[in-house]
Amino acid sequence: MSDPSLASFEYLEKLPGTTFNKLYEQPSTALAIFRRMLPHLAKTFVMTLLYMSKPLPLADLDEWVEPNSQRERGDALSTLSRLHIVAITAPSRDNPQHVSLLPNFRKSLRYALTGGGNHHSFGVPSQDSDPDVTIEALDEYATSQWEGILHYLVHSVGGGRASGKLSESVTTLLTSGDLVRRPGSGPGAHGITKSGFSFLLQEVNAQVWTLLLLFIENSELLGMNSVEVLSFLFMLGSLELGQAYTTTTLTESQLHTLNQLVDFGLVYIPESTPTLFFPTRLSTTLTSDATALRSVGAGFDAAIASRGGESQGFIIIETNYRMYAYTSSPLQIAVLALFTKLYIRYPNLVAGKITQKSIGEAIRHGITADQVIAYLNTHAHPQLHKTPAALAGGPVLPPTVVDQIKLWQLETERMETIPGFLFKDFQDFKEYNDCSKYADEIGVLQWKSDGKRTFFVTRHEQLRDFIKSRKAREAAK
Amino acid sequence: MDGVDGTDRQEGKQDGPTPSLLFIILDTNPHAWALLQNTLPFSKAIANILVFINAHLAVNNANQVAVIASHSQRSVWLYPRPPSDPQHGDDSDTGMDDENKTDTSNLSDASKYRPFALIENSLLHSLRKLIKTTTEADIKATTSTQMAGALTMALSYINKATIAFLDTGAAAKPTPTALDSSDKAVGLQSRILVVSVSGDLAYQYIPIMNSTFAAQRLRVPMDILKLAGDTVFLQQAAFTTRAVYLQLKNLQGVLQYLMMAFLPDQLARKHLVVPTQEVVDFRAACFCHRSVVDVGFVCSICLSIFCTPPEGAICLTCETQLALGDYGNKPAVIPKKKKKKKRALDGGSSRATPAPEAA
Amino acid sequence: MPRAIRGVLVKVDPSIKAIIVNIDAENHAFIIEDLDEDHLVIKENMVSVLKGRIDEILAAVLTVSNPNGAESDSDY
Repeated sequence: MSDPSLASFEYLEKLPGTTFNKLYEQPSTALAIFRRMLPHLAKTFVMTLLYMSKPLPLADLDEWVEPNSQRERGDALSTLSRLHIVAITAPSRDNPQHVSLLPNFRKSLRYALTGGGNHHSFGVPSQDSDPDVTIEALDEYATSQWEGILHYLVHSVGGGRASGKLSESVTTLLTSGDLVRRPGSGPGAHGITKSGFSFLLQEVNAQVWTLLLLFIENSELLGMNSVEVLSFLFMLGSLELGQAYTTTTLTESQLHTLNQLVDFGLVYIPESTPTLFFPTRLSTTLTSDATALRSVGAGFDAAIASRGGESQGFIIIETNYRMYAYTSSPLQIAVLALFTKLYIRYPNLVAGKITQKSIGEAIRHGITADQVIAYLNTHAHPQLHKTPAALAGGPVLPPTVVDQIKLWQLETERMETIPGFLFKDFQDFKEYNDCSKYADEIGVLQWKSDGKRTFFVTRHEQLRDFIKSRKAREAAK
Repeated sequence: MDGVDGTDRQEGKQDGPTPSLLFIILDTNPHAWALLQNTLPFSKAIANILVFINAHLAVNNANQVAVIASHSQRSVWLYPRPPSDPQHGDDSDTGMDDENKTDTSNLSDASKYRPFALIENSLLHSLRKLIKTTTEADIKATTSTQMAGALTMALSYINKATIAFLDTGAAAKPTPTALDSSDKAVGLQSRILVVSVSGDLAYQYIPIMNSTFAAQRLRVPMDILKLAGDTVFLQQAAFTTRAVYLQLKNLQGVLQYLMMAFLPDQLARKHLVVPTQEVVDFRAACFCHRSVVDVGFVCSICLSIFCTPPEGAICLTCETQLALGDYGNKPAVIPKKKKKKKRALDGGSSRATPAPEAA
Repeated sequence: MPRAIRGVLVKVDPSIKAIIVNIDAENHAFIIEDLDEDHLVIKENMVSVLKGRIDEILAAVLTVSNPNGAESDSDY
């Protein structure tokens, strides 16, 4: 699960419609979901419908979309209806289908765009500020908190030597999320788990989301209102770095959440002024996307550099698959050990080799070749950037190695499994054809065979409705 | 997690859509807006455009926006404010005038997404200043607008933004390999939206067409939203850059038009049927009197266009001595014989070649 | 009325499919429907069991023949 939005998306999808209605009461949530969760075309649809006075006939929408893009159209519409953003009227003979935005979402998104209303969902900034709290200080705080969590995970590789810095609640969360197993919780079961490994190699934003989702699931067990927690998180994403916000307007669950987020390094509360909180870079980029995250990475690099650590790239890869890493950080070495075979360790250098076995091992742990390559790329030694190929704008890593890593991954990709539903036993070809066409349009069709009149879809709810309404129409005739 | 199953790795391969830069050129020609006073007052138009800008920023976190006013005498940056703006410095020196007060109160409004509020403040502030600094003499001096200048500034800004974007993105540029065969659009997707109210801009023909061709090369669509008037060259600009051209008949629904036709960026437009003009006016303006001509004279050397033969048959642009041939004579009637048709045609063209002349 | 059956669609190349069919031949505990030469529908609860079996068989069949890997152990 390399895309953090996918994970949060799956979680959201499970929520009932009433929860969505409550969530959409906050314009900040409506904006965040609009921005983060929707396919590109769906965003266009939403914006088109936003200021339309009456529902749009579905046929008109179809005419607006290029005939070749029906699949994207279906995909967009099905996402929108799954997230309870649009309502599509049921087809009947006298009344063609119409699409419209659901009133709550429409109202909130309009408020978000025009800035009207009195909802205070974008955080209440405080006039007081703390001169000690600079953006650099916040970055440093966030980095040290977050690295603390990562260190805890990495050290558990070597046998569960917990660094005492982490608060109890964070370690509980990591354990309940099955990222680490506590020593003694089972025979031979201590240390980092498979999901912990892939967690380590994720982007920071993905890591944050993973932890937050764990937190939300846990908060439900603690009897907290998950809607409030979620909308609070979405609000955090809309705040501005370096600005102080007041805690006085928050609810009980939100205050509790806030305290938890301090442990993650997502917010900072100065000891002198407990009624103020400062969002850090980790939280203000919650609802951003990958391109914005590059600057997060840059921000972190700067923060690390200011502490005298290694901000520069430190890995050299040779075309013969040998790898030299100028580092003494246990975190870096532990990460490297996930996908390389290390041979030598000097005080400031580890040397190793990327082999089919080591990559295969990494893939079995759920790390993808792309993750490995991205990691090597971002941490490539400046010397690699000086090769003629790199100077000419070419690749930084030796292409042979990159290709080989991908090929090694392909070797392991021998099958793909998709849970879903098999539809068969249609009365006639026409019924089969209509249904499979519809399934394709809404983007759930995975496989079909005209000869066998059978097809396979990933979800069946919309299709079931379609078959029913089709039946009704047939009967009416 | 499983050795043989590649399902997990199949997912998440699609990257988020690339960010886009929306460059709005706002025609602030006071004369033209005065005519629209009853149907679409300037303030209402600005309010609509602000909502549109917010919508654009809402689509993607990394989306950027820039606004420039094409005023009667000059083009003025509205957003982002130029860092070296001396007037801006003056303003903060004089301290809390009315606008600055409203600024702060507006920014601390918790019901407003802060980036939206920042842009709105900055934009309105610059607009107010622009209106304040426009003197009556300025208004009297001309009834047109500096569209060409604004377009040129837009293109240079887009160029700069694209380079800056590639620079910051270079660190994360993935290593291209033989296994990657996707030819996805990378980098910043830029487009220009011209909100035009002024009439003909024939006297700016050459600079406008030059920027149009530059935009075509940069693959920057120049969308045109015509609220009033009709401009031949903007039609051509939209057509050449394969962009949207809309001439509004009902000005009340301007926001809906903006949202539906102009909000989709290049990526979304691939999937949509984009409104274009049915008929494009391809007429050009002559280089001598800046008037739009149906039929004119073209210099055979530099392709300059003239409405009447220039004085002494010397091209005004490249100063070549041209021969006019037997222009003005009635076309000779060539007896038509089907078998000899080809030869007759040959004769005709060979006579015309040495004389640079009419289209 | 068409029927809908819950299951897991498996996309494989024909060689792996042959292995799956072979495994299934023992007690028919896996396959719901054999669709075509590289698609199968199998029972949802049996996916992980099946994967384990395939892993075993592949590990037995494929001997690691990688000059890179072999060489690497010796040259340090």
